[in-house]
Amino acid sequence: MPAEIDEIVLGDATTSYSEYGGYQALAKARAMSPAEVTDELIASELRGRGGAFFPTGRKWSFVPSKEQIPKPHYLVVNADESEPGSFKDNEILSRVPHRFIEGCLITAHAMDCSHVFVYIRGEYSGPYEILVNALEEVPKDVFGGVTIVVHRGAGAYICGEETALIESLEGNRGQPRSKPPFPAISGLYASPTVVNNVETITTVAPIIAMGAAEYVKLGVPNTRGTRVVSISGNVVNGGNYEIVPGTTLRELIYGPGGGIPDGRDLKAVVPGGSSTVILTKDEIDVGYDFDSLAQYRTAMGSAGIVVLDDRCCIVQLGVRFSEFYEHESCGKCTPCREGTRWLTAILRKLEDGRATQADLDLLLDVCDRINGKCLCPLGDSDAIIVASYVAKFREEFQAHIDQGGCPFGGHSSLDGVLAPVAMHSHSPVAEVPA
Amino acid sequence: MSLYERIQEERAKYPPESRSAVMPALRLAQEEHGWLSPEVIREVADALEETPAYVHSIASFYDQYHLAPVGEHVIEVCTNVSCAVVGAQQVLEGFERECGCHAGETSADGKFTVRAIECLGGCGWGTIVAIDEHYRTHVKPGDVPSIVEELKHAG
Amino acid sequence: MSAPELVKVTIDERTVEVPKGTGMVETAAAAGVEIPVFCYEPRLGPPVGACRMCLVEVEGMPKLQAGCTLTAQDGMVVRTARTSRQAAQGQNATLEFILVNHPLDCPVCDKGGECPLQDLTFRYGPGNTRMTFPKRTFEKPIPISPLIALDRERCILCYRCTRFSENVAEDGQLVAINRGAQSIIATFEDEPYKGHFSGNVTEICPVGALTSTQYRFEARPWEIQNVPTVCGLCPVGCNVSATTREGKVKRVMSRNHPEVDEGWLCDKGRFAYSHLDAPDRIATPLRKAGPRRFEELSWDDALDAVEAALRRGGTSTVTALSGAESVEDAYALGKLLRQGLGANGAVLPEEIPDGVDGYRAPLSALRSAKTIAVLCDEPVVERAPIVDLWLRAAKRAGARITYTRPDGPVDALVTDRPHLGAQAENVYFLPRTPNGRGVADAWSAAGEGEERDEKPRVLVISGDEAATDEAVRAMAAEAEVVIGIGLFQSSFRGIADLVIPGQSYLERDGTTVNLEGRLQRQRRAVMAPCPDTLAFVAKLAERFDVELSPYTSVVFDEVAARCFGGIAFAEVGETAALPTRAERVAPGPAPAQGPDPGSGLRLVAYKPLFSGVAVERTPELQFQRPDAEVQLAPGDAKARGIRNGQTVTVSSNGTSLELRARIARDLAAGAVRIAREHAGDLHPTVEVRP
Repeated sequence: MPAEIDEIVLGDATTSYSEYGGYQALAKARAMSPAEVTDELIASELRGRGGAFFPTGRKWSFVPSKEQIPKPHYLVVNADESEPGSFKDNEILSRVPHRFIEGCLITAHAMDCSHVFVYIRGEYSGPYEILVNALEEVPKDVFGGVTIVVHRGAGAYICGEETALIESLEGNRGQPRSKPPFPAISGLYASPTVVNNVETITTVAPIIAMGAAEYVKLGVPNTRGTRVVSISGNVVNGGNYEIVPGTTLRELIYGPGGGIPDGRDLKAVVPGGSSTVILTKDEIDVGYDFDSLAQYRTAMGSAGIVVLDDRCCIVQLGVRFSEFYEHESCGKCTPCREGTRWLTAILRKLEDGRATQADLDLLLDVCDRINGKCLCPLGDSDAIIVASYVAKFREEFQAHIDQGGCPFGGHSSLDGVLAPVAMHSHSPVAEVPA
Repeated sequence: MSLYERIQEERAKYPPESRSAVMPALRLAQEEHGWLSPEVIREVADALEETPAYVHSIASFYDQYHLAPVGEHVIEVCTNVSCAVVGAQQVLEGFERECGCHAGETSADGKFTVRAIECLGGCGWGTIVAIDEHYRTHVKPGDVPSIVEELKHAG
Repeated sequence: MSAPELVKVTIDERTVEVPKGTGMVETAAAAGVEIPVFCYEPRLGPPVGACRMCLVEVEGMPKLQAGCTLTAQDGMVVRTARTSRQAAQGQNATLEFILVNHPLDCPVCDKGGECPLQDLTFRYGPGNTRMTFPKRTFEKPIPISPLIALDRERCILCYRCTRFSENVAEDGQLVAINRGAQSIIATFEDEPYKGHFSGNVTEICPVGALTSTQYRFEARPWEIQNVPTVCGLCPVGCNVSATTREGKVKRVMSRNHPEVDEGWLCDKGRFAYSHLDAPDRIATPLRKAGPRRFEELSWDDALDAVEAALRRGGTSTVTALSGAESVEDAYALGKLLRQGLGANGAVLPEEIPDGVDGYRAPLSALRSAKTIAVLCDEPVVERAPIVDLWLRAAKRAGARITYTRPDGPVDALVTDRPHLGAQAENVYFLPRTPNGRGVADAWSAAGEGEERDEKPRVLVISGDEAATDEAVRAMAAEAEVVIGIGLFQSSFRGIADLVIPGQSYLERDGTTVNLEGRLQRQRRAVMAPCPDTLAFVAKLAERFDVELSPYTSVVFDEVAARCFGGIAFAEVGETAALPTRAERVAPGPAPAQGPDPGSGLRLVAYKPLFSGVAVERTPELQFQRPDAEVQLAPGDAKARGIRNGQTVTVSSNGTSLELRARIARDLAAGAVRIAREHAGDLHPTVEVRP
């Protein structure tokens, strides 16, 4: 277990303004020009922690000057963390709200912006209250004319996609926009906008404080600095851990994760949130960094590691995640709206033992027909992960067909799980049962 | 302060002519009225100078706005994978039993609404149960009766 | 302005040059390649890339791209389904997904035969279905208003209709509710889609989800004729297509004139055609047979009777015109009366300002205006609906729009200067009647002299609009003989001694001049139940030794030589051009405004669009009548502590009303608006209290 791993646990005291010790990195940043701050971020090689892993400094550098586009600039912080398996931003906001606020103000300085909107997921009442209290603690003059508005979401995974988030923040249905134009040119209120994840923003202050030259020494090529990983599922010590990349997935699961409880065996790991390609128990010696995971055609994503033991039926896993994507599909583009629903239906047929060989072929073909055709990554994700389950656990899918039912015989850890999509519609105006 | 005035306060946080205040307005209205009846939707629309159809269109997009009446306490059990593999379904069934209603329904006495919900963002501390929007972590099926008992006495 | 940069794009191995940034659908069309679409419709705003029907392969991009959101960049190499297997698979996949829930009810669907989904499925779709699960089913059809039926099973959720409601009409009435596969199109609760432009959604729907209730099961595409004509119900003169079957108008659709209407049509223009078959339609000449009763008259007897009446009136005959006549009908009547009788007196439908032709511009020029001053107290949408859409488009494009009290009795829109005057860039006059300008021109071209008998012995009332006008009816009460020409008995009952049947704009050939000053041609879509007014007037003219042809084209040539620069009838065309601007004349001094209302608010009791003889005879349009509300400018509401939606008391000397308050941003400070039918006996100056 690497020494750098630092466990953070929900319920620990929130850092108050006085404990935090002033906004020294902010003072340092304000002594620099906005371009210098951006250059420092570029030099730090910090990449977006929301999942897309885009270089943060470069994103900031895309914002045109106010001479080029004479409109206000906006910083929008994506605190709509909703990826199954990921819960780091929840704890970051709860534990170190001032480091986060300081990051907002440094970023606002770097992009010459005086309006920051923090879009926090609606369910995060706890972190919301902590953040609002923390904002009240900060002396007015520290803001330097920057206003920070905390905007609460209301339960829609898709609003974590940056253009959907902007739409939602503008008071529209949270449906992604087609790009271009990119938010850097025309984002919130058709103005230049940077959308950054909570963890990304929270990392800005330490980078300025320690200097990019020091920060970039941490980690491995293409995955610099530290990263907060969320470990959950069948592990002894579920939680968030700040790590320096360079460790393997196995080390994370058996180190801070404490291994598999109840004497069970590991079966599979979802390495970076529900949207990432699954790894089998034989693939976990992979380094937990961008390049290493890419060799397995998977990704760190939002760093949500979901550990599954040998009681988990992979077909049921497909059903449950597909139900999630079906439920969360915004309904804008055809392949996602219709395809995720169709995938769920075929997977359920497989799980119920009603499927034939043709249905398994159809499942993969429908995946193929969704993947790469959608407006945003949501539909693609469902198709990619379901196809990966079949690719890596084909014999288990086959067994469902051959045995005419689930080989777990009702003893899978996911057996009978009720998903919201199967429970109720969003509105009383529902469809008529067929 | 009236709901109308509080909505105007929210509107002031965003650029004029933007519709951004619709979400905070719906949240305020729901806190005041418990759920978003057609009449409440109309009230919000008037305060925002928008149409009720628009407000309903927004409200129905998100899971947290209640477009049907809910119980005094709303119990939401995460049944996504991380919680499910550590027993979320058994926790959900526990609440169904203790509250006397199926998931997605409200108990006959109007006390409880029980729902399954998508990932609440507390995966490492499963099972996560949000009770009136505040999280309980590490909930086990055995914890359910005492939680329900506590809520009954909380009024 | 510099010429746009041209770029070379290769589509399916054909290279074309287009201006940089041209949409890929248009770029492909320029190369003779079709990119099929459902959600793409440039008139609805920026492309959204929702339906994914337009997927194409672009060299250098790993994934398929939505063609509708791509723009032409130099050197781009694009492959559509014609030459790319990947793109073909993408399109086939999209159609399969769309058809997963679409019912196979084409044989009973009104859209069948003219349905984009049907057409594209034939060309690009899968030949069979692999979806073995139950399709989504809904209660159907749901009337989302008395005019429009919604079939949610057929809906493919392309969001064209909701984008129209949100981005074009901006009425916020038709929306998507729920999320994902549960999404449906809906209005609020069971309320109807109330809005001036709702019918457009039936036209832009690419499937049979939104259909007209009037057209439901009325005709199939192979048994109809479409007649290109121009709407005659308001001064905009939208270009329309009248669908007829077996001699009846079955529907009216828009016919895109990019300078006038951009392919939009208001609900009055679209749905009010059923007035043609109203029960009180006049088909034969009538003579008064009692206080409230008419008797039928033969055409020969009618000719004799009208001739006798006109001889009795002589120069003491006055003509009241509606402003709904064709140029030719108005000219013919003028020529008969002015040259045959020396009866020059006329009540013209409205005052036509001098000099606006020097500021003439197409309505489409509004979109690029920087500032627009609206000098009209009444809502523009109630007077000239499509102009309201152009104003909204201008606002979305960044124009600053101000609303001020009119300078005088004439209402207008002025761009780039705040007031009427020589500094204005473009001026759009806002008449109250559909052809007020053309009728005024025709009347003045028909004779010389201006005198008018204030108490005429004989009054000729041309048109139902004039016959239902209070001032005209007062004149009629004083006249010895009243001759009416019109469509409906009830318009003339009690006031006219003789009535000659008239024709609607859908039943005659002729021309009309819209608010821009654009001369447009109306074509006969169906036969009226009676001979043309022009033929009858020509017969009468013979008896007064006035040379008048019964043929529209001949009469037109006569008027055109005097008023329209001698343009030939055939040259007016199906898509009429705007005449070039006249020389500018210095405008006269602005007339004094009415008295200042002091501390009170100026009441504007407006005539709603959904009123008048045609609307009254269209039962399906009754729900569109205005709400009982009072509109206030934001500042006036705030000063009085009035909230949007609140019930308020509107009062003036001794009378008061309770109405719902609505804060309106298209209203000058100091004025309040109430639809005439809700304004009761209020005086011109009112006060409003919460």
